[in-house]
Amino acid sequence: MMARKIVSTGRGGAGKSTFVALISRYLKPPSLLIDLDPDLSLADMLGLDFHKEKKRTVSEALYDVVEGRRRGASVSTTTHELMEALLWSDCLYEGKGFDLITLGTKLTEGCYCAADEILRRSIPKLARNYTNIVVDSPAGVEHLNRNVVSDINELFVICDPSRKSLEHISRIKKIIEAVGIKYGHFYLVANYEFDEEAERYLQNTGEIYLGEIDYDARVEQYNLQGKSLLDLPEDSPAPLSVKRILKKARLV
Amino acid sequence: MGRVIVSTGRGGAGKSTFVALASRYLKPPKLLIDLDPDESLADMLGIDLSEKGKKTISSALYDIIEENKGAGRTGYGLLSRVLESTIKSDCLYRDGKFDLISLGTKFSVGCYCAPDAVLKEFIPTLVKDYEEVLVDSPAGLEHLNRKVVVDIDDLFVLLDPSEKSIKHIERVRAITGELKVNYDHLYLLGNYRFSEETEEYLRSAAEDYLGKINYDPDVKQYNLGGKSLLGLPEDSPATLSVKRILVKAGYKIGVGT
Repeated sequence: MMARKIVSTGRGGAGKSTFVALISRYLKPPSLLIDLDPDLSLADMLGLDFHKEKKRTVSEALYDVVEGRRRGASVSTTTHELMEALLWSDCLYEGKGFDLITLGTKLTEGCYCAADEILRRSIPKLARNYTNIVVDSPAGVEHLNRNVVSDINELFVICDPSRKSLEHISRIKKIIEAVGIKYGHFYLVANYEFDEEAERYLQNTGEIYLGEIDYDARVEQYNLQGKSLLDLPEDSPAPLSVKRILKKARLV
Repeated sequence: MGRVIVSTGRGGAGKSTFVALASRYLKPPKLLIDLDPDESLADMLGIDLSEKGKKTISSALYDIIEENKGAGRTGYGLLSRVLESTIKSDCLYRDGKFDLISLGTKFSVGCYCAPDAVLKEFIPTLVKDYEEVLVDSPAGLEHLNRKVVVDIDDLFVLLDPSEKSIKHIERVRAITGELKVNYDHLYLLGNYRFSEETEEYLRSAAEDYLGKINYDPDVKQYNLGGKSLLGLPEDSPATLSVKRILVKAGYKIGVGT
């Protein structure tokens, strides 16, 4: 088995994590969700408290490994080998319907290159155990430059109604090509803020436009209260529209 | 030595909008720095850098590395010397109202540590030439971990109405505290989606809440059409609310600015 790799990306606040949280219930299990955002929003949206679940983020596990090596722990295994084991034992949350790994915040100086690199190298191995791997990206473009997922089946770009969104689309296409990321499909999805006029912009980009995530007062309310989006009723507007989008992409 | 102001927050909270709107009230000479590789600040100000013959830091860095590779020269020491002169001549966009430097997108494999490091090294020098320097951050936290701007006067954290925003504030405080990113003030701002109820919640949760940026249909319209937010009328709701916020934060905004 080799998982289908689905990536949700877009500008800040477009709705990447909302989209991931909403599609997770429709995908054929077992699914692994990976949150690449150091700001940990996906776990929140799924109503999960990682620490209460006795799980660690990749950044936290990596910190301990690096500190251990500094204090003279065995160096016969590489950091990556140690981390690969820890991913399974400490970082993988196993839930009903989905598993979750999260990059996590670090409180030390420097970028997230090392933690991203651990995931980049582990994703092909993790993929053997799942039907779907769904990656939620941090806002912006850096994760694409880092080539964290180099072999994507379905790439969903979540858009907000602004000219910046259109520029973002052409920008990431250029990055993807320059970096050599392969993908099966490149899909555009509109967030709830679109009206018909704005939708027309997306229809005219030359990319495949799959439709809009409908406005759903409950989504706002659930996010404010920190309630899991998995508890949204099936017939709520947002899940319904996401299901329609997945059908168009032939994922359900 | 100019006052250093940083706007940060989760994706879509309104960091760049705040910077674009606040820029008109700052004391000249002023410099805007866009740390987001997605280059949205220049767009919001209606500036096409390449049309103006200016490069982003990322593309200047790429060009210098390529040129020097051709000549067989490498090494960061050399780079930073070359860059310092290049930044002022090639990357610094100037118009009558403000100057602007943009990190920019790179079209090669790898992170933005190198262009960020260039800016980090250069910001203390740049700051000397301006009264106020306003930095727009990329979404999220990584720029704080990278310590791109270490000495901040005013740190504005833009919030959207969600529990995630509250956690975001805690993370910002933890990272800046742990890494010794110094700031004199940390101010919380609500974006236009805040209701009375969420504002009340924030006021009770944090003492540094300064208010919200009011909803403004023009902002949406301008962003969709790619029009500069600098063209918003002085008396539009968003502009007025930003002015009010800056006054609360102690900015002296005179008549005619």
